[in-house]
Amino acid sequence: MRPSPAQIALRYVLIILATAIVLIPILWMISLAFKPYNEWQTAATGVHWWPKNPTLGNFEYIFTGQTEGLVVSLDFTAVRPIFASLLTASLGTILAVIVGTLGAYAVSRFKVANNLPLSVLQLRLFPPLAVMIPVMIMWAYLGMIDTWWGLSLIYTIVTLPFSFWLMKTFFDEVPLEIEEAALVEGCSRFRVFWKVTLPMVKAGIASTILFVFILNWSDYLMALLLTRKDWVTIPVYMNALATAMSGQLYGMKAALGLIAAIPPVILGLSIQRYLVRGLTFGALKQ
Amino acid sequence: MATLELQSVTKRFDDIAAVENVSLRIEDNEFFCIFGPPSCGKTTILRLLLGLVVPDEGRILIDGQDVTYERPHQRDLGMVFQNLALFPHLSAGENIAFPLTERKEARSVIKDRVAEVAAKLHIDHLLHKPPAQLSGGERQRVAIARALVRNPLAYLMDEPLAALDARLRESTRVELKRLQRDLSHTLIYVTHDQEEAMSIADRIAIMRDGAICQVGTPDEIYNRPNSLFVSQIVGSPRINVIQGILSNGQFRAGNLGLELTCNGVAYNGAIALAIRPEDIAITDPGAAGALTAEVYEVEPLGGHTIVDVSLRDDILKVHLPGQPDFAPGQAIGLTLDGDHCYLFSANSGETLRHPV
Ligand SMILES: Nc1ncnc2c1ncn2[C@@H]1O[C@H](COP(=O)(O)OP(=O)(O)OP(=O)(O)O)[C@@H](O)[C@H]1O
Ligand SMILES: [Mg+2]
Repeated sequence: MRPSPAQIALRYVLIILATAIVLIPILWMISLAFKPYNEWQTAATGVHWWPKNPTLGNFEYIFTGQTEGLVVSLDFTAVRPIFASLLTASLGTILAVIVGTLGAYAVSRFKVANNLPLSVLQLRLFPPLAVMIPVMIMWAYLGMIDTWWGLSLIYTIVTLPFSFWLMKTFFDEVPLEIEEAALVEGCSRFRVFWKVTLPMVKAGIASTILFVFILNWSDYLMALLLTRKDWVTIPVYMNALATAMSGQLYGMKAALGLIAAIPPVILGLSIQRYLVRGLTFGALKQ
Repeated sequence: MATLELQSVTKRFDDIAAVENVSLRIEDNEFFCIFGPPSCGKTTILRLLLGLVVPDEGRILIDGQDVTYERPHQRDLGMVFQNLALFPHLSAGENIAFPLTERKEARSVIKDRVAEVAAKLHIDHLLHKPPAQLSGGERQRVAIARALVRNPLAYLMDEPLAALDARLRESTRVELKRLQRDLSHTLIYVTHDQEEAMSIADRIAIMRDGAICQVGTPDEIYNRPNSLFVSQIVGSPRINVIQGILSNGQFRAGNLGLELTCNGVAYNGAIALAIRPEDIAITDPGAAGALTAEVYEVEPLGGHTIVDVSLRDDILKVHLPGQPDFAPGQAIGLTLDGDHCYLFSANSGETLRHPV
């Protein structure tokens, strides 16, 4: 039976409602980012959805340290934390994905290290703090506190199990015969991996990169414990965005939050076509 | 252009012998079929020859050279895999070209060769498509083309026609046979279809549970099977088997009321008597020397007819030319000639006597 127009209308209303509920916090953040000080501050009277006098003042403030209407100037702008976040999250992601991919391939294709897949998860079995406090002490001994390599390294270590497990499931799906065909047709073992298997799991690598990057990008705890000043990341910096005089700088936080949302979105869009899996399937007879 | 040889080869997977003490010699330019029921080790033999698995015991020789421990790319063999194993990220054309690009052939050579085999297999219009967009039969042709594009020492094919429908399979197997003759190459062909094996092979190896039962020409396999198993696995419909006792040249199957004189055999004891459906004759009921039986079912197949005959509690299949007029339930007479029968030992299944 075809739904009546009223039913269709109801359906759309419900869908829009559900979408709106999900999107409200994000819309609120966007709106907040463009509001001037007197509209977002706690003492502001009345709540309104859209900025009455839209301004880029919040962005100006976090990038230059001052803006019209705010007396207190910032002595530490967001430029460096943004750079720190980009560097450490990217480096951690690249390393975790490379190492995870190689390890997953070995375990998936050769009967080695049968216990490894489960044991890489053990780090995840502890409460994060129980792991991070000893790590902080170790890092301090090694002189890696507040360094880009120290933070990148812990990002690699912590996200490695994810990239390993994700890549293993993708490799497990590549039929053995396809690799054997390449071997017979003249490829060496390494060429098979490089020319045949890796291109077949492209989609898997893309989704793994995105997943791991988002984990690293949104980390707060590790950056909080392992950085002091030079390599503070966006989430840590954001938490500190407050002044004694004006309290929490909500408008600035919203502006920074908006900026922080950009890299994952760009990454997601740029690898979107790989995220659609299905390339690998249908090549074999059932 | 090569002889391939397995010498007492055994390969075990977790204590199960997939291939056990197999010795085979495939001659130059031979169309050699390996035929057997599922999981009997056919694919494993090909994988051993290719070097994808290393035998636990025995040796593998190509052209007399011991290659037991050589890697796949050092052996120069072409293979069509059972599930085709096309590269999904490459187009059909790139798939076919793959063996040549991997060997760093000149681009013009690759182009010519690909065009040539594609034309031979009638897939020239599909070269730009990825495997996922091809039909089962087209994929199969691409897989065969990928093996033929090169000029290896021998071609190995693992049930290459399995995905085709019956009609296409029949025409393709003839093409394949002609192709092999034109290329004058050794070809090892695995199949679980007895008709396919019988129709295209120069010689057939019959396998069972990892061992070779018999190797011979289709004629030898059909007419001189060395065991009950071999006689049953070839021929359609299946050979009729009757259990009974042989003593002093007299065969007796008590439950069927059957008595036959079998010449040329000195064995006494329990045997299995087998007779091909085309060697049984149907007569009028009550004809001299005929057994009384009843038509159970009729399968008219156009050129010939299979009549299922019930003889007490057994059913025998009879192959008759043309479209004889029988109806289920009809009383008929059956004549069996003891000298047209195969006699097998009931215990070991070994042949005691072929038809005389
Ligand atoms: N890599 C492997 N690991 C474990 N067992 C295996 C492996 N390869 C084959 N076998 C076993 O060896 C036996 C023979 O397998 P094989 O693939 O050679 O059979 P086949 O005759 O090709 O069967 P089919 O007609 O189904 O293709 C089977 O019991 C199979 O389970
Ligand atoms: Mg097989």
